[in-house]
Amino acid sequence: MFRRNSQKDEDLDRAGKAVLCAAAADEQEIVRAAESAFLFTRIRARIAEQLRENESGGWQSLPLIAWRAIPAMALVASITGGLMLWSGQSANAPGAVNTPVGFGMYEDALADTTNPGLEQTVLSRNNLSREEVFTIVVEHSEREQK
Amino acid sequence: MYPATEPTDDALVAVAAAGDEAAFEALFNRHRRQVARIAGRFFAQREQIEEIIQDAFTKLYFALHTYHGTHEASFKAWLAQITVNACYDQLRRIRRRSEQTLGEFTENETQQFSSQLRVPGSDVETALVSRDLALKLLTRLSAEDRLVLTLLDVEGFSVAEIAEMTNWSVSKVKVRAHRARAHLRRVLRKFV
Repeated sequence: MFRRNSQKDEDLDRAGKAVLCAAAADEQEIVRAAESAFLFTRIRARIAEQLRENESGGWQSLPLIAWRAIPAMALVASITGGLMLWSGQSANAPGAVNTPVGFGMYEDALADTTNPGLEQTVLSRNNLSREEVFTIVVEHSEREQK
Repeated sequence: MYPATEPTDDALVAVAAAGDEAAFEALFNRHRRQVARIAGRFFAQREQIEEIIQDAFTKLYFALHTYHGTHEASFKAWLAQITVNACYDQLRRIRRRSEQTLGEFTENETQQFSSQLRVPGSDVETALVSRDLALKLLTRLSAEDRLVLTLLDVEGFSVAEIAEMTNWSVSKVKVRAHRARAHLRRVLRKFV
């Protein structure tokens, strides 16, 4: 039984070799291809084209650039996000110190415009009452109208 | 053989690598038939063989500076390696294109092919038909299978030589050859 199988395999291998040989070109076709006119000129043109592509970088290199740039951009974005989160957390921390920014004012007062903190700070610094400030503003506008 | 005054391949490679186009042309004229012969084992049409010649010599040009010949036949072996790789790339491209349209045989073709395989030594006209059918049948093999079987059974290279040409390990060539042969047998069993 083994002998019969191996005989069949040998027959199939011979048939396979015949198929592979049949798919090959004949000698005349090979010689015609090798002696084809302007073959070297076409090779020179192809080399020149490839050299040009290599020099200009070529559009084919774009996916490669993107492939390298995407992880770098993701890294930068994650670092930025991390820093933002970290700075937000440290500012809200219970022991966080409010930094002075000059003229006797603090960051809190400048950042929150809906909060009367800024107004209160200016008033308390110059010892002016709300009425005095109102009078100054009215007198100023009257002077401008005259 | 070339006369003694002719420069050796290694000398021409050195000059061509320095930018001398005439030296590169001399290498081309000396070895284009060798390249065409290897390509002709895989491709039957003249245009396909020309394409491989162009591809192989273009790759050769850009790899000239990497060549380090150790013996007289080094350049020939190196060029054969480049050519085989160009053929392999082309086989893979063809395989990708024909993946959806794997050649199905009509009843008539099946009968024709079966009779051709049973009768050895047919006339020229039938042999031409055989080529078409053979090419159709070989689209069922992968590029690797086709490459390794052609190099082993048609070209008569040893496993070690194929391993060197393809940059595969010897064991990979052996395994691939075994599988390729088994696959081809399975395909042919329907016809024999």
